[in-house]
Formats: sequence, structure tokens, C-alpha cells
Amino acid sequence: MTSSTILLVEDDPSLRVLTARALQENGYVVRPAATGPEMWIAFNAEPVDLIILDIMLPGTNGIELCRQVRQKSDVPIIFISAKGSETDRVIGLEIGADDYLAKPFGTRELMARVRAVLRRGGMDRQSDVDRRNEARFDGWQVNFPRRELKSPTGAVVDLTGAEFDLLSSFLHNAQRVIARERLIELSRTRLGDSSDRSIDVLVSRLRRKLQNEGGDAPITTVRGVGYMFNSEVTRA
Amino acid sequence: MIHLVRPSLGLVGRILVILLLTVTVEFCTSTMLYERASQFSLREDEAHRLAEHLVISRKLVAERPLRERAMMASLLSTDRYDVRWSPTAPPSPPMAPQLREMRQQIVSWEPSLGDSSMTLRLKSPGLNSVVTGAMTLPDGSWLHFGTRDVGGDWDLALGRVVLALVPALALLVIGSLLIRSTLKPVRMLAQAAERYGYGDRVILPEIGTGEVLRVIRAFNAMQDRIQRLIADRTQALAAVGHDLRTPIARLRLRIDMIADGAARDAMRRDAIEMETMISSLLAFLGGGDSDQPVVRTDLSVLATTLVDDAADEGHRIRYEGAEHLEAHVRFYDVKRALDNLVTNALRHGKTVVVSVERRGDLAVLRVVDDGPGIPESRLEEARQPFVRLDTARGRNTEGLGLGLAIVERIVQAHGGRLLLSNRPSGGLQAEIELPIEGPPPVL
Repeated sequence: MTSSTILLVEDDPSLRVLTARALQENGYVVRPAATGPEMWIAFNAEPVDLIILDIMLPGTNGIELCRQVRQKSDVPIIFISAKGSETDRVIGLEIGADDYLAKPFGTRELMARVRAVLRRGGMDRQSDVDRRNEARFDGWQVNFPRRELKSPTGAVVDLTGAEFDLLSSFLHNAQRVIARERLIELSRTRLGDSSDRSIDVLVSRLRRKLQNEGGDAPITTVRGVGYMFNSEVTRA
Repeated sequence: MIHLVRPSLGLVGRILVILLLTVTVEFCTSTMLYERASQFSLREDEAHRLAEHLVISRKLVAERPLRERAMMASLLSTDRYDVRWSPTAPPSPPMAPQLREMRQQIVSWEPSLGDSSMTLRLKSPGLNSVVTGAMTLPDGSWLHFGTRDVGGDWDLALGRVVLALVPALALLVIGSLLIRSTLKPVRMLAQAAERYGYGDRVILPEIGTGEVLRVIRAFNAMQDRIQRLIADRTQALAAVGHDLRTPIARLRLRIDMIADGAARDAMRRDAIEMETMISSLLAFLGGGDSDQPVVRTDLSVLATTLVDDAADEGHRIRYEGAEHLEAHVRFYDVKRALDNLVTNALRHGKTVVVSVERRGDLAVLRVVDDGPGIPESRLEEARQPFVRLDTARGRNTEGLGLGLAIVERIVQAHGGRLLLSNRPSGGLQAEIELPIEGPPPVL
């Protein structure tokens, strides 16, 4: 496997050098850029596998750049922001970023995100057709870019990253039996979550959040094999 | 904040008292002067009437034969004057000086009475000044007379006093109404000043009299200045916070390059602590701002997520309470508030119980721990920003002491309350009350 090329857009020179070094030490090819125009030069020169983009840039800001990139390409984007507010995160994800990293971050955190996004990007390109869309089942509403679940009454139902990933796995394989091993594998690709929380605990938590007056959650256990999401999923 | 309202007359009351005082003094002096003047004319009047009556009586009685005189005299007695006839002279004591004056008035009015050797006497002086007197008829017999009780005078005076009081009272009422309306801007100012302390910026309409207008203008300008000052400071602090994140990011990446494991881990912990401080400072500065949308949220699920996360980290924490409870809140703010309470509880207690339930129109998020609690006397202090209660073991405590202050700000921005109390069985109970229908609209 050839090493992935990462386009790093960061205006702080030292941080740019340090981040680039950390990425290079982990086997990635890094193309650094300090501003929007520099980014476009690098972007047009050679294909890249991932863009790491600081939101606060002189001139054109990261959000605008992200919007422009999305018009041309599906390349995965990780946002970096010193603001660290949830509103920023949601805006970033909504305009098409794949992940969001708050400043300051450690090398380990950075690598985990990069790896997860690259792996997901590689897999999702074929299967995940509606990365930016919504899905509905039994009146529930799932917003993929915002990673948000709403109940039939329209209330936001808080899910952890792992729970949301599990739910998306179910939604993409609705009315099919999914083996536990496959679920574990799928959930591991997200966020590089290294916690060994068992998939069964995760499923039971998701079930509890999905049950309401209308009845139980539409997730059934298939003994000895895995789980099945038995509700019709419509995509909007 | 406690408001001690000292019972006071107030400005309106004071001005009214001043008004009352002036009116009373004015009324008294004018009444006295008036009374004086009218008394004088009354007396002269009295003398003239008496003189006329006496002239007629004298003439009529003198014209009658002796035996009819007594009868004539009694005929001449009226409501006011008592007339009797006697052939002999009465004992004549010296005349009182006031009466001498009266006699002069009588004589000057009816000079024909001048040669009647009239004497006047004051009978039962004091209460009812009844004047009696006698005079000779041309044939040397005597005519006695007396004024009957000129009562009614007092009633008349009282009536006048009451009458004079009516306009005075009306004046007072009108005056108080005028004063109230004049002072209305001052009342508005007081209300505005009261509200201003709670974060409301109230620009007052510039109305009122000169002095009040100046105060209102000054107040409005002062509000602007304070607002600007706070905004500048907050912005400066927030900017420093944001800007610190880049060097800390550099620091963290550099730390990761250090080979010495122990030193690297220690430095990483320090860097993370710095980062935590900045985050909590920024949350405090931005806490409760309304640019985050209010969304319908399942609070029970939100609490469960926090509890599950803490449980995964190995803490003894459990959720009790409603499976679902929906309310209109700023999602991330409330999550941060509850997270702060849970973090506090986990820091001080071994076992933590989180619950969410409905109480009337309120959603109640409760976090209970089994730690040492907070001394009753310091429960209020605990909500203050930058206050850390456990100074004795301050080295274990990280952060800036903003945890509860952030919760308080967020909860207040929702129109809710943060309640802290020690449980009888030990440990702290922290409750967040939030209106289910969402924060009250911003005026």
C-alpha cells in the first residue's frame, strides 16, 4: 500500500512544521500550505488523499475553502479549530468535513483521526452513498453529516460517536442479519476508538435510547449470529 | 443578592410633607390675619347695631308714660338685645377699657347717645362675652340693656376654617399628583438601575425635567460604558484563551517527541491541564450566550450518555429516573452543565447517582454524590467563579474553579435554577431546574 498524501493547511509556521513532522513520522506524505491560494496550488498539482484544514486562516477562511473544495472533490477533510465550540463542529460537519479536531491536540489523537478518516474514506466511497443525507425509520430521523438522531417527537437524542456509528451500520444494512464480528469491525473503523467496550453493551444502550412509548427499539438479537435492524429505512 | 428596603417616606412623601407644612403655615397665618380683620369689623358692626337699637329704644321708651315703659322695654327685647326699664340707677362699677372703646364707637355712630351717661359692663367675661349696660332717659329714669349671647360666632369660625381647608386639601391632592408625574422618570430610573445589575441593558427614554434628564442621560451613557468595558475585557480574555491554544498545540506535539517516558507523560498532563483551564474559561465567558439554538432534547438520554461514558471510565455511577423527558434547551450548554456537575460529584464522591424527572413545568436534573458535601455556610460561595472550596487539598484540584459558575450561568440563561444542598445522609445534591417549554424569550 502506497503511503497516503495529506495536504496540511495551517497558518502558524511552527505548528505546521510540527504537525507535518508528526504525520511524516507516521508514514504519510505531507504537503504543507499556509494559506488558501497555497492550498489550491498544491491541490491542483497532485491528487491528495486527505486535507487537514485550519479554520482560522488569513484571507479565505477554512469554512469557505472547505465549501469550495466540496464543489470539486470528495476528498476527506479534517477541520482543525482553536475555537473548539460545538457550533463550529456542527457547521464544519454540515458543510462536508469528515471530522473535526479541536486545538490543541496530541500526536496520538491526530493519528487516530487521520487513520479513521482515511480508512472510512476508502470504504465509504463505494458503499456510503448518502454521506450527506438523512434517513428515517419509524418516525425517527437521522442526520448523517450532523451525526444527529431525532425522536418521532422531534427531540434530539444524544448518541455517543460509537453509538451513532453502530446505528449507521444498522441503517445501511437494514433488515439484514449482521454478524457481531462484522459490527465490531465496522464500529472500529470510526474514530479509531480503542475502547474494548463490548458490542453487546453498545447495542443495549442504543436499544434503550431508541425505545419509547411507541414500543421497543427495532433491533432484534439473532441468537448465535448477531443482530438485525428490522424496520424500514427511507432516505431523504 | 439581598435587597434591604428601608421603610422611607420616599421623595413623593417628603415633598408632600413639605407642601403640607407650607400650606398649613400659610393657612394659619392668613386665617389669623383674616380673623383679626374681621373681628375688628365685627366689633364695629356690633357697636353700630347696638347704637341704632339703643337710639330707637331710648326714644320709644321715653315717649311712653311711666307705667307702660316696662312693657315697651320688653317689647323692644329681641334675639340679640335684652332691654329693661327701671326708674333708678344701677350700681356702676368702673368700665373695662375694651368697653370704653366700644362706648366711643357707639357714641360716634349715634352722637345723640352721648349725653345719656351710658355705662357698659362685661358680664361673665371669657366664654360668652355678654355686654350689659345702662343709660339714662331724658327724665332721669334708666334703661338697662344687654346683648344676648353672640354665640354662633365660634361655629361660624369653624365653618370658615373647614371651608378654607377644602381648597387646601384639593391643592394637596393636585400637588401630589403633579409631583408623582414629575418624578415618574426617577422611578423608571430606579427600576432600570435595579434591573441593570442582572444583565439587562435598559436604555431609558430621555424625558423629564432638566435635572432628571441629566441623570437619565448619565445613566444611559454609564450603561454603555460598563457594557463596553465588560465586552472589551471579555473579548480580550477570550482572545488570549483562543490564542493560547496554538502554542499549547505546538507544545503538545513537541512533548510527544520526547523520549523520556516519565517526563513526557508528566508534561503531557500539564499541557492537558492548561488546555482544560482555557476551555473552562472560554466556556465561562461564553456561557449562557444565546447564539446556540434552543432545540427539543431528550434530557434523560443526554444524562444516560454522560453516565455511560463515566461508567466506561471505571466510575461507580448510575442513572435513575425517567426513561425519557423532553424539554426545549440549548443542547450543548445543558450537556456541559450536567457534565460539570457529574465531574464534580465524581471528584468528591465514590458513588454518584444521576436522575432526570419532571416536576410540574420543570425538568429536574439531579446529581447526588456520597462525598463530604459543602459546609452549609459556603454553599453560596461555591457558585462564585474562581472559588475553589477545597484549598486544603488544592494540589489535587485542577481547573480554575469555574465548574459551578459555568453551570449557574447556563442554567440562568435558560431561566432555570441551580440548587445545591447537603443530604442528611452525607454528600452533595445538585439540582438543575429547567423550564420544559424552554428559556423565556429575551426582551
